[in-house]
Amino acid sequence: MWKSTVGGRVLHFYLAGINNQNFLMRDRETGTWWQQISGKAIYGPMKGASLELAPFDELSFGLWKKESPDGQVLAAVGRDQKKYDSKWEEEVAKLPVPVSFPGTALKPRDVVIGLVSAGEARAYPLDTILKQGVIEDRLGGRPVVLVAGPDGKSVRTFLGRIEDMGVELFRKSGSGDFALVDAEGGEWNFKGCAVSGPETGKCLPELAGIKDYWFDWRNYHAGTTVYRH
Amino acid sequence: MQDRGFAFRRNPRTGKMASGIQAERYIESKMRELKSSGFAWILFGMLVIAGSGLFFIPAFIIRPFRYQSARALGLALLTREYASFWTVIALCGTVALAAWQWKRVRRWQRVWLAAGVLLMAGSTVMARMNYFEWMFHPVAQPGFEAASHTKLDGGEMILAVSVGRDARAYPIREMAYHHIVNDVVGGLPVTVTY
Repeated sequence: MWKSTVGGRVLHFYLAGINNQNFLMRDRETGTWWQQISGKAIYGPMKGASLELAPFDELSFGLWKKESPDGQVLAAVGRDQKKYDSKWEEEVAKLPVPVSFPGTALKPRDVVIGLVSAGEARAYPLDTILKQGVIEDRLGGRPVVLVAGPDGKSVRTFLGRIEDMGVELFRKSGSGDFALVDAEGGEWNFKGCAVSGPETGKCLPELAGIKDYWFDWRNYHAGTTVYRH
Repeated sequence: MQDRGFAFRRNPRTGKMASGIQAERYIESKMRELKSSGFAWILFGMLVIAGSGLFFIPAFIIRPFRYQSARALGLALLTREYASFWTVIALCGTVALAAWQWKRVRRWQRVWLAAGVLLMAGSTVMARMNYFEWMFHPVAQPGFEAASHTKLDGGEMILAVSVGRDARAYPIREMAYHHIVNDVVGGLPVTVTY
């Protein structure tokens, strides 16, 4: 998800091509071609420009609805409704990959959460995040936190500090329910906000992560590393 | 008058002997016709190949499920940009040549002329089409329903964005078809992509 404003100008995008199983889009205002996955302008009058990630999450609907009961959901477009495919991801997973990177730690279609911090890119395998519940790491000199949600599906990613103070979170042990605690015992929710303890009311800054297949993330982030625990 | 050889003195059609000058004129005009018709065929073929290539080359490079290097992709986009103008020029040239040739060629050769013009016309139309939007219709104006009213299953994944007090969800099931939604959430213009 991208912010549509570039250099003070709001652009409107449409689907215009395909590149390594990712879409290419063009904007109606300048006709520039953009890579959907990297947000980069690759051809046309704005070539070289970059879109900025908008803060977004990929969540299960149930979880989101609990957090945002007054939220709005994109309505189906009537004439296209029949073409929506709930098994889309499973079907894509069967497709051959256009490019692979043998010798790397992951299989091409392993799902990763990709983070970029101060120019450094790292892929966090989704399986590992869901298994560990919380990952504390350093990327590009900054602390980052990846948290698996109470639904066991959703993942949120944050900067692991508030102002200049580092915050370390742990999965509360011994409780079946979802609970995150900091070093002082204060509790935090899945939105990254402290709900009890000395930091109550404060929230970790979100760091936009991208859910992607390993081959695709690696293809557009040549220098990426892979998280190992 | 100097001798120009016996063969030139016989009119090839009537078999009658002709004066040297007449025979020479006749053969020269035949040769000119032959040359210009051959030249026209070559020009016609080249125009059709180059013109339709303006559509087919980028279409071939950016076909789904294949790898595109940055260079190949650049070439495809460059070709596509020039294609919308140059296919029209090539089509005009092709039509003009075919019309000029039509009366001069044998009947079966007209099939080639017609095929060339059709191929070129098809390429000209396709070079101006965004056929990706034939496969995946765009969302003209995104509509929304309240979270409490939608029938979406709790386990279905959504893309979520919240700005200020506005929270919006875009079901992956829908995004995997439309791929792009232009929206404004809490005053922030966003492009939802999947």
